[in-house]
Amino acid sequence: MSAATPTAQRTMPPTGANHATGWRARIGRGVALPLALLALWQALGMASHNVRMPVPTRVVAAAIELVRSGDLPMALVQSLSRVFAGFAVAAAVAIPLGLAMGSVRSIERNVDPVVESFRPIAAIAILPLAILWLGTGTAAAVLIVAYAAFFPIVINTVAGAREISPTLLRAAATMGLPRVRIIRTVVVPAAMPSIGVGLRIAMGVAWTAIVAAELAVGAKAGGGGSGGIGQMMFIFYAYSIELNRIIVCMIAVGLVALVLDRLLRGGMRLLMPWAGP
Amino acid sequence: MTTLAVRRAAGSALVYVRSMAVFLVIWALVAQWTANAILLPSPVAVFHALADLAADLELFLHAGISFGRMVVSLAIGSLLAIPLGLSMGLSRRLDQVIDPTIEILRPISGIAWIPLALFIFGIGNALPIFIMTYAGFFPILLGTIAGVRGVDRRLIDAARTMGVPPRTIVTRVVVPAALPSLMVALRLGVASSWTAVVAAELIGAPSGLGYAVEWYRELLMTPQVMSFIAMIGILGYLCDLGVRALGRWLTPWARDARASS
Repeated sequence: MSAATPTAQRTMPPTGANHATGWRARIGRGVALPLALLALWQALGMASHNVRMPVPTRVVAAAIELVRSGDLPMALVQSLSRVFAGFAVAAAVAIPLGLAMGSVRSIERNVDPVVESFRPIAAIAILPLAILWLGTGTAAAVLIVAYAAFFPIVINTVAGAREISPTLLRAAATMGLPRVRIIRTVVVPAAMPSIGVGLRIAMGVAWTAIVAAELAVGAKAGGGGSGGIGQMMFIFYAYSIELNRIIVCMIAVGLVALVLDRLLRGGMRLLMPWAGP
Repeated sequence: MTTLAVRRAAGSALVYVRSMAVFLVIWALVAQWTANAILLPSPVAVFHALADLAADLELFLHAGISFGRMVVSLAIGSLLAIPLGLSMGLSRRLDQVIDPTIEILRPISGIAWIPLALFIFGIGNALPIFIMTYAGFFPILLGTIAGVRGVDRRLIDAARTMGVPPRTIVTRVVVPAALPSLMVALRLGVASSWTAVVAAELIGAPSGLGYAVEWYRELLMTPQVMSFIAMIGILGYLCDLGVRALGRWLTPWARDARASS
């Protein structure tokens, strides 16, 4: 983004007072479109005279109701716990595998074809098999999440481990460190930033996958699945036609995705200040 | 030089075959041990199913439908995202107006739109196309903006000094310079919309690969399920290869960067 700075400096007013108004104008510009869209939505919804038609005010009311009854927090906690379980499984498999692939050439040559063959298969495509093997409960959802999160972590770990300066490795080897020790004290710290990027991408993918998995389980297993935000959305769609509540769930899905991403970004910066933005 | 390249390609093909052979043998052994053709059919059964499905063209019919939907969605997505991305990349003010709205919508994954879209469009072609367009839109938009921002300022200044009109600067300087980044963005867009097609078809379409996978699961015909899953992977891989080839053809000067997702 460094190429954008000249324009930014050019538009930036020089004095402090102007600087403040610049910020205010900027925020005003940013808020204008979302507010206009909300107002338009509200007006169109009110004009249609349909009580079911979702409008922002009814969505807010539905949100308050869902939060107060505890249904929405409960569903989010359930989905999040599945995401964390699947994510932990994926990380526990993918990081060691990625480190081994990235630091030993022959392992990479032999394992990479298998990884690359499965990578284009979307996690949701595995869902029918997961249902067949593990039923419609938490285990199937965790498997989907783990599968989805595995690939970004392994690919970025390999990339991180491979791009270590050979000088560091040679220095460690010269000092007579055994291979396992080299991996622990040289490869892992150097690959950390790249692993962090992989984990962050994987978390986003995992959250998308859990919503899809719960939704599809709800849709295809005759509502016999077990909870979570995706399942909740499907129930609002199929059984108690509540568009306002569906929109509340969509917003919740977006907010959780945003918070997870920000938390991981912040966590990485805290743990690895050397890694850059 | 060329013999070396040929030898290297042959070597990596050999390694590929060897690794997959080991994988298939392990699969076959586990299948023998499970001894339940519905839970885990042997690789041979899956190859037979794949051959049968290919012979009566069912495989290609569903694959063609899914692929067609993706092409339509990407065309719509690009038509919306590329002009918008170009204008947002060029005008800071427009970027400040539109960017917050984009950032509000972007975390809501395409898949989360499925229940609402089922209401609006019903089950049919429109639902997967909407979901895939939505999923492909954001990577293409963000990539276009980043590409435009990354254009060397001096090129634009040089063109301006020589009195080139703004419209020509956009078409002859900005677009070619942003093209490599745009092709990477298109690749990410293809990947994310191909992921969405399966989910959308699984739930809300009467045809396509996602539908076929679910149909055969309900019939407990696992070899067919696995054949269609394999087809999803193969077609996804071919699409990625196609976009990469397009990128090399359009921007031969760009380095073929590996996407991080």
